[in-house]
Amino acid sequence: MIWLIHILNGVAYGMLLFLLAAGLSLIYGLMKILNLTHGSFYLVGGYLGLTVVRATGSFALGLVVAALAVALVGAAIERFFLRRFHLEELPQALLTFGFLFIFADLSLWVWGGDAQMLAVPGPFARSLSVGSFAYPVYRLFLIAVGLAIATLLWWFQEHTRLGTMLRAGVDDAEIARGLGINVSFLFTLVFALGAALAALGGVLAGPVLSLYPGADLDTLILAFVVVIVGGLGSLRGALAGSLLVGILDDFGKAFFPQFALFTVFVPMAVILVARPSGLFGRR
Amino acid sequence: MIEGPMPKNEGAWQPWPFSAQAVSAAAAALLLVAPVSEARAQEPIKIGVLLPLSGNFAVPGQQTLAGLKMYFDEVGNKAGGIPLEILVEDTQTKPDVAVAKARKLVERDGAQVLTGVVGSGESFAINDYSRQNKVPLVISGDAGQDELTLPGPIANPYLVRVTMSGRTATAAAADWAYKKGWRKAAMIGTDYAGGVDTNFEFARAFCRLGGKVIQAQWPAFGTADFGPYLPAVDRSADALFVFEPGADGLRFLRQYVDFGLQGKMPVFDIWGTIVFEPNLTQTGDAALGMYSSEFYTPLLKTPENERFVAEFRKRMNGELPEHEAPNGYVGAHAIVDAIAAVKGDFSDKTKFMAALKAVHFPSPKGEIKLDKYGMAIQSMFIREVQKVDGSLGNVPIATYRDVDQFWPFTEAEYESYQLDYTHGKDAVTDCSKLLAKK
Repeated sequence: MIWLIHILNGVAYGMLLFLLAAGLSLIYGLMKILNLTHGSFYLVGGYLGLTVVRATGSFALGLVVAALAVALVGAAIERFFLRRFHLEELPQALLTFGFLFIFADLSLWVWGGDAQMLAVPGPFARSLSVGSFAYPVYRLFLIAVGLAIATLLWWFQEHTRLGTMLRAGVDDAEIARGLGINVSFLFTLVFALGAALAALGGVLAGPVLSLYPGADLDTLILAFVVVIVGGLGSLRGALAGSLLVGILDDFGKAFFPQFALFTVFVPMAVILVARPSGLFGRR
Repeated sequence: MIEGPMPKNEGAWQPWPFSAQAVSAAAAALLLVAPVSEARAQEPIKIGVLLPLSGNFAVPGQQTLAGLKMYFDEVGNKAGGIPLEILVEDTQTKPDVAVAKARKLVERDGAQVLTGVVGSGESFAINDYSRQNKVPLVISGDAGQDELTLPGPIANPYLVRVTMSGRTATAAAADWAYKKGWRKAAMIGTDYAGGVDTNFEFARAFCRLGGKVIQAQWPAFGTADFGPYLPAVDRSADALFVFEPGADGLRFLRQYVDFGLQGKMPVFDIWGTIVFEPNLTQTGDAALGMYSSEFYTPLLKTPENERFVAEFRKRMNGELPEHEAPNGYVGAHAIVDAIAAVKGDFSDKTKFMAALKAVHFPSPKGEIKLDKYGMAIQSMFIREVQKVDGSLGNVPIATYRDVDQFWPFTEAEYESYQLDYTHGKDAVTDCSKLLAKK
């Protein structure tokens, strides 16, 4: 019975990691930008969701407001700052790193230094009996949401016109422009989408991981681990990587507690040695 | 003063009718005549406050500062009639910044006493500075490392600590647990120095009384997911003893309910980091019924504390004080009493340190005195989370008075044990190893 709990837990944690990593992977894969501000999008999104939930009591509204607000901020950062350093990886990385610090200080100023926990939305605030144990329904909800978002992203990428244009823009931006595709607008859109995903991750993870100064860096590291394992730029990779890391992490902590700090990084280390481009990565 | 172009120095421009020689002779005469100590008494005595006001420990830093300021304001910023000047510096939770600021306060700004200190890293760094430069240091922040007030390589005759030492809350917890009839304990503790120290000392005190720790789990610092640990708790234990600080404590509180442990066995939070007041307001009724051990609770019903809490709430928008605030308050009280006792004379540091170690007064957290190593002897409270006026609070249900840093052992007995926490993590479930003597 305890095995079932561990598996469920691994999958739930994996889905949480997927939400954190999907945005990072998307932005890198499509724009070749290493977006270190990703952590801030997560944290600020989470904090905004927290404020909305505390003011209105509506978790759904919190999700929407956080995603939209952070998407706008992301779009502004891409349009007015990142675009100046098109294809220059180091300046872009430094710029996003700088924004990480700025947002970290701003959030400390606005929301303070204590850890804050989002309340679990009403219908999910109970636990299912699993033998002599209980399992929180909210984590099952997270698994469902993660799968739904993964499906939506896949469908968007493969079966919509916009998605096709995006893939063309990534493959070869010059030719795509030559075909009349507005690549600049697409890039802003993708960056905003990646930011929105991170913000959604922040609100959805809030009831489980809580929000605190430093969560931006912790999340960024986890997202990187997933993306390295799964392969940068691949949705399938993000999903596979996050599930693998989630399950290995749970079992690792339960059965090899002395290595608890390493369990998240072991799959990453193995991949870097055996298959550096990641499970489903290209390039 | 008349501002204007200075006349060229032709033939010694004399602004005064007196010659330079006359002026210096007069100055020398004045210096000889004026009583030196009176001149010093007019200058305020500077007190350097070193606290993390930004970074990870900003919140405990701010609370300690609030407590310090409250006491200094209460006495009109004077000690025995001598004016005091409080200089505050932010250590940013970084040891190197802490030392740099300590230097600035003492060497550039002329601080005679240093106080504050929260984080463990900065505590060792500032302790070294104080010892090497013979600067009196009154720890009024959370820095609870036992070594700071025990005989040993870093022992510092210029240090005094009015706040806490790691093991005192664990000893009270073990005693109360045993009296309650509990004999088998399951433990969860964060895997870092503070967590290992706390749980190791609890295990030893509990063994000494006749109890036993039957299971110990050590989640890493910053554990987000207690899924691997909570379902695995040994249900045959009489109670679960937990030490999880900071954000980990908040997450633990939520997840302990999620995984169905609420109501299955009693939970004792050593040091009260989980039933921390800001956590209680965020997790509904999750903490109801949890026990904890600490040297303070805002719900203490003594005249000193009720007055303290009322004044604190006035200054801090209705917030309740956590233990850092009374610690700051007590630190300031000790400094003021000591300065008054030596009448502001810092020329003999050993006399000042003796005055510090001799302080004895009632405070919001109970009666305070210090032992020969400069460590506080104070009360420990066992608290239970109950509903008070519609919200959850830590209600004191038992008190242990005159708890010194070795309690319940004597100093000799404490030092006779072979293992200490730095090598004892794996021995917590083995009473014979825990109680083995050198």
